Amino acid sequence: MRSAPSSLTSRGSTLRGVVPFARRRYFVTCLAVAGVAGTWGLMMAFSWSAKLGVISLAPWVALIGFDIGILGGIAGATLATVLWLIANHADGGNLDNTQIAVRAGSLVALAVGSALAGRRLRASEQAHRGVALLQSALIDSTLDGICLTDAEGNILISNRPLRRLVAEMGMPSHGTVPERLLALADSITEPERYRTRMLEVAREPGSASTDEFEIAGTGRVFRGYTAPVPEVAGGLRGRIWTLREVTADRELDRMRDAFVATVSHELRTPLTSISGFLEMMQDEEAGLGESGRKYLEVIRRSTTRLHALVEDLLLMAQIEANRIELTLAPTDVQALASRSIESARPAATEKGVTLELITDHPPEVVADGERIAQVIDNLVSNAVKFTNEGGRVTVSIEGNGSGLRLTVADTGIGIPSDEHGQIFSRFFRATTATQQAIPGTGLGLAISRALIEQHGGTITLTSREGVGTDVIVSLAATP
Amino acid sequence: MIPRILIAESNDDVRALLELTVQRLGYEAVRPQEHGEVDAILLEPGCDVGRSVLHRFGDAAPPVICLSIYPREEGLEPSSSVAYLMKPASTTEISDALRTVFAD
Repeated sequence: MRSAPSSLTSRGSTLRGVVPFARRRYFVTCLAVAGVAGTWGLMMAFSWSAKLGVISLAPWVALIGFDIGILGGIAGATLATVLWLIANHADGGNLDNTQIAVRAGSLVALAVGSALAGRRLRASEQAHRGVALLQSALIDSTLDGICLTDAEGNILISNRPLRRLVAEMGMPSHGTVPERLLALADSITEPERYRTRMLEVAREPGSASTDEFEIAGTGRVFRGYTAPVPEVAGGLRGRIWTLREVTADRELDRMRDAFVATVSHELRTPLTSISGFLEMMQDEEAGLGESGRKYLEVIRRSTTRLHALVEDLLLMAQIEANRIELTLAPTDVQALASRSIESARPAATEKGVTLELITDHPPEVVADGERIAQVIDNLVSNAVKFTNEGGRVTVSIEGNGSGLRLTVADTGIGIPSDEHGQIFSRFFRATTATQQAIPGTGLGLAISRALIEQHGGTITLTSREGVGTDVIVSLAATP
Repeated sequence: MIPRILIAESNDDVRALLELTVQRLGYEAVRPQEHGEVDAILLEPGCDVGRSVLHRFGDAAPPVICLSIYPREEGLEPSSSVAYLMKPASTTEISDALRTVFAD
């Protein structure tokens, strides 16, 4: 890191540019004593005691007082008075006691005053040093690398973790931060994407941004953050940069994804024999008693749910691995919605929930019909699932410029407002759902969002607990 | 001639299900260790038994119907594959795939 004007920047908490206090004190006191001796020498050598007067010793006395303190100052004043009296006596001068007392008293007062001023100055200096030490301890003790730069990106101050990370990453030790970041491009796993991002960051000093990048061949992943700092000091505008190693977090993500994929794959084999033999049982169902048939129905229902879960897990894993490819074609979303409604109708009727479709017959959009159907199925079955008897689920589709807007509105249990931010995260389930033990995996909305976003569309949600939920999907005419 | 279907599946329960499915279609189910000509293979890609069966037939493998726990991807599917089903495929889907092989 470039060395900077602030004393904090050089080596962690070592303060450079501040001369240790004890050494300076010794030096100033020696100077003052030498001054006293020199002045007295002149008095003695040239009989200048009257010409120079006691006042010529005053600056040295003041310095001694300032540096050593009150007692040192009084001693200095006494010494100066005695020396001056000796010189005066040698020159044959006659002074009465009052004159001596006034002069000695003036010197003592001067020494005491200087001592008080010195003490105050030292206290304030110590306080500043204390704050600086605390600040450097604070920024050096965190895990994150932190630095503050001027508007051009020159480092003003940096902390120890940053210097360590920078050294480990092999970043150059000179230049502005954007220059150093760019110099790293060739050792990043996706150099082109990284270079483009870093150039954007350099071009837009007014905006905050977060980026993640992996050092090729090491598996180490870092997350960098930068934001403008409006006022650093004295009207200077700058930027804050932080760097954090997130290798462990990403490793955990990878392990979780691998685990989810394994579970989803390994569940498929037992599920094949369960559902296959259930099919075989169909022919023999007639021979079972009423309870036997009921048991079989329960197994069948549970198997269907398990199957849906396994498919959702696989889809989520594929989405995470960016392995979903859309098959685009002109798609009649209205037809998909009415199909979804028809397949949800038996469950809705059983629960006593009214299900309806309102549409102004929007034009077809270019989309992957299967994936859009999956999203609508998901939203409609969610709405039915979370709406109690006597409630209503309305699917409305309207043309929106050249695209369309699909809303699935229910009068169900709703989602607490503080959970709206997480509701599209995978495996997240609203407390209103978990408290009532309504089954689900927390994957439906995460999958829906990923699929809609892959179409270049948006999916948003408004909800009030106990009132209902609206999920709004907007799709452009073409992705 | 009754078509002979070799079932290369690592899980005993699934193999029993597949044998039953094959027999219900009127075909003969053949185990990997049995010898003789086979007309089609029901194969679990990626498992040991599947690999050894494919190795045994080499380039002369009859039509293969894959029944996999993994999504279709390159390297997993043999060149003589005519259908790729993902578990848990229904017995109806498996039967349809088999019938298609012997449709001509």
